[in-house]
Amino acid sequence: MAKLRLDRIKPLVALGAFLLAWWIIPTTVKSFLKVSFSEFQAPAWVATSYLDDLENFWARRSHSKVELIEAGREVARAKSLYQFNSQRKETLENEIQRLEAILNLPSRREFRYEVARVVRRDLNVWWQQIVIRKGKDFDIPLGAAVVFSGGVVGRVVEVGAFTSRIELVTSPNFRMAANFEGDERPVVYQGLPQSGFGDPLGAVRDAPKDVIASTQIPLKLVSTRLGGTFPPGLMIGRVSWLEPGSTGVFQAGEVELDTRLLSLHEVAVLIPLYPIDLQDDVP
Amino acid sequence: MSGYDIHRGENPRIIFFFWIAMAATATLVLGLGWRQLIAAQKYEEIEKRQTERRVLKPGARGDIYDRKGNLLVGNRAHYSAVVYLDDLRREFREEYSKIIRAERAALKEAYQLTPLKEREDSQLTPDYNELQWVARQNVIQRYIDQINLITGRDDAVSTRTIIRHFNEQLLLPLPLVSDLKPDEYARLIEQVPVQSPVQIHTDTARYYPYGVAAAHTLGYVQKVNPDADTIPNDGIKTYTFKSKIGKTGLERSFDDLLSGEIGAEIWRVDPLGFQDSLLDGETPRQGENLITSIDIDLQMAAETALGERTGAAIALDVRTGEVLAIASHPSYDLNDLSPFIPRKTFGEINERGAWLNRTLQLSYPPGSTFKLLTSIAGMRHGTLTLQTEHDCQGVFRLGNRIFHCHARYGHGVVDEAAAIESSCNIFYYAEGLRMGIDVLSAEAKRFGLAERTGIEVPYETKRLVVPTKDWKRERVGSGWVPGDTVNTAIGQGFLLVTPLQMATFIASIARDETRTQPTLRALSYVEAQQVNHGGEPVGLTRKQRAELWEGMERVVGDGGTGRLVQIDGLRIAGKTGTADFRAHGKEVNLAWFVGFAPVENPQIAVAVMVEGTSSLDSYHGGSTAGPVAKDIFLEFIEQYPERAGFQVAR
Repeated sequence: MAKLRLDRIKPLVALGAFLLAWWIIPTTVKSFLKVSFSEFQAPAWVATSYLDDLENFWARRSHSKVELIEAGREVARAKSLYQFNSQRKETLENEIQRLEAILNLPSRREFRYEVARVVRRDLNVWWQQIVIRKGKDFDIPLGAAVVFSGGVVGRVVEVGAFTSRIELVTSPNFRMAANFEGDERPVVYQGLPQSGFGDPLGAVRDAPKDVIASTQIPLKLVSTRLGGTFPPGLMIGRVSWLEPGSTGVFQAGEVELDTRLLSLHEVAVLIPLYPIDLQDDVP
Repeated sequence: MSGYDIHRGENPRIIFFFWIAMAATATLVLGLGWRQLIAAQKYEEIEKRQTERRVLKPGARGDIYDRKGNLLVGNRAHYSAVVYLDDLRREFREEYSKIIRAERAALKEAYQLTPLKEREDSQLTPDYNELQWVARQNVIQRYIDQINLITGRDDAVSTRTIIRHFNEQLLLPLPLVSDLKPDEYARLIEQVPVQSPVQIHTDTARYYPYGVAAAHTLGYVQKVNPDADTIPNDGIKTYTFKSKIGKTGLERSFDDLLSGEIGAEIWRVDPLGFQDSLLDGETPRQGENLITSIDIDLQMAAETALGERTGAAIALDVRTGEVLAIASHPSYDLNDLSPFIPRKTFGEINERGAWLNRTLQLSYPPGSTFKLLTSIAGMRHGTLTLQTEHDCQGVFRLGNRIFHCHARYGHGVVDEAAAIESSCNIFYYAEGLRMGIDVLSAEAKRFGLAERTGIEVPYETKRLVVPTKDWKRERVGSGWVPGDTVNTAIGQGFLLVTPLQMATFIASIARDETRTQPTLRALSYVEAQQVNHGGEPVGLTRKQRAELWEGMERVVGDGGTGRLVQIDGLRIAGKTGTADFRAHGKEVNLAWFVGFAPVENPQIAVAVMVEGTSSLDSYHGGSTAGPVAKDIFLEFIEQYPERAGFQVAR
């Protein structure tokens, strides 16, 4: 009888022993285990993503020639537009450099773009993260800004050998300095716990009281260069209402984010070309 | 049958113990009932006092605007990095254990190195209390180092600060770094993890969009602990964030209006006093706004015109007494005093003498601008008529003393209007003597020159002198002599007034009354119609007034001392003045100009005083103070063309 009882509680004893061991072992060992586990999983995620790409490839092969020709034309049109914009950008950059030289201004931060494929999404109420298919192999730095065509995606929070983990702008653990378009004063943006239904939301606080937002004329919340991570002017979201905060001087409100954030396939990591200089950098 | 029943009839001692037990139980039950039913409220209050803490948060101050709605004083964000010590308790414990181990090892080593005879057991006991503070300082400094790394600062925390915070403000966040610049704030927001115990705290600090404009009048604030009267006397321990009170200027005068309402939070705390949960809260509310009579465009014109010189300039609305501009130089940028006055800034402002509000805190001899009052006194007393003339040869003999006119070879024969135009001293020496000091003093007092104006700005000087015979006997200790009268008649001698008083004086003349009540509050239309300055009509006949005003207009004419003030299309009546004054330990010049415009329907009165700071400065009313007044008049035309009598295309 007693033997039977002991058999029954064996799993509990094992769990208790494991928890005790986990509690006792040093933090460095825990970190090592966590990283090893992550690195062990990464190849599987990467392989899965390649399989997805292959699947998409085969799916697209089923398109008719007419569709492919039409798509090719679209691509050609887009390409010519991008080539034009690229030339224009180059001209503007040269002009900026000339003006900086005349006015003896320090250069702004410059970034290199590293485009990466999303291999995994880890979205829940408490955190919102994605994993991309580039890591230390492409010199992805910790804390780097991640963007997409719709604006800010998030920030790199973990870099593995071949993958990196991005904290999404929708995550409650993500916070950044921002400003309203056309207004230089910094405000705070932070992600909110997402309900799982409806569009993703964030929160903005410390907005000056003279800033007015309405559903008819929502304000654009964009990144500021003050924080040093993001280049200025990248879209974060739209703010339709603001209400006075506890001081009576600042306002707080909700930010409507881009719905595409939850189904991203490709993002770009912005890698600073030189380290930030706290004294001389343009804020 | 119980065990007790068996022995009941056999052993009476058990019955005795039974009743004792019953009595004891009854006592306990009654005691419990007493505490639970009757004394419950008392214990609840004790429990409340022991476990609840109140945190008071002051509301933001109201804004100050000019008469057109331009923001003069507002609130800007004041960022600081703070930490709630409650979040660091685990780290404090770990650091303390680490330090204790290291200290014990060090003590043990030292003990073993000590000769046997000198060894004492106390050598092995570390100072636990001190080590606890060291541990706390280490942990907090580590967080400050992280902030320094992000911001490039070099801040540190002292043990004294930590001890004081633990003892006095445990429930409030400990400020690690204050007054962060916007880029530092932004970097911290992005680079300090959301879960970090370090939080970026946003408070308000006063913000002055126009910097030095009307600095003395607007005033500044100081951070203080809230008034003890605002804390409810209910036994709950209360922690308070510092609030701001007005120290000078309008911030002080309208402190009750501008101060926000204090908000409160009630926290449940654990036995060690750290916060546990929020029980109740009331949001603080911002104070009321104040709309002043100042017109920032006129104010800026006055500030710019005064430039680097020492002096004061005031512009009043003639009809209502509203102050349109009020500038005192040297001045200071109010933003340098917010959120606190750095010691270096204080010393630098002090060294320049810029703390003094020269419009109303210092009094000066009015010089020749006072001749207007001498004229009015003479005309009212009958000694000065429209036919009165004096021959000015440049000198005036009084007994064995010689008094000079500023024109070495004299002005020749002058009547009243010509005397005002050329500011002839000889004319006024003679007229002063004819009417006597009693008449002159009485007239000056009738115009309120011996009293403070009562404007809403604090610290108006009491050192206002309209000398009389009694005054001299009492203050100087000698009798009045005719020489004192002639000096007073031209605005010199013992006479001392403030530039603000001269502004009210000239506004009164423009309205043909004896008093002007200046105000810095923007008056509503109804209030403006009902203004009562509290004076009386000047008492001149139409002709007398015309003669006086003609002289004043001629001052700004081609041959007048104030010709530099001339503006095409605007009739200005004014008077220049140049006085000798002892300041900064040396004799210096004072340049004055007072005037109003337009003459046909006076709207604005201006008084300007420029103070020489060196005996080498050669200042004159017409050439030094006059152009400052001209700039103010020009800005008035720009801002209020219709009131200045200019046609406006619609």
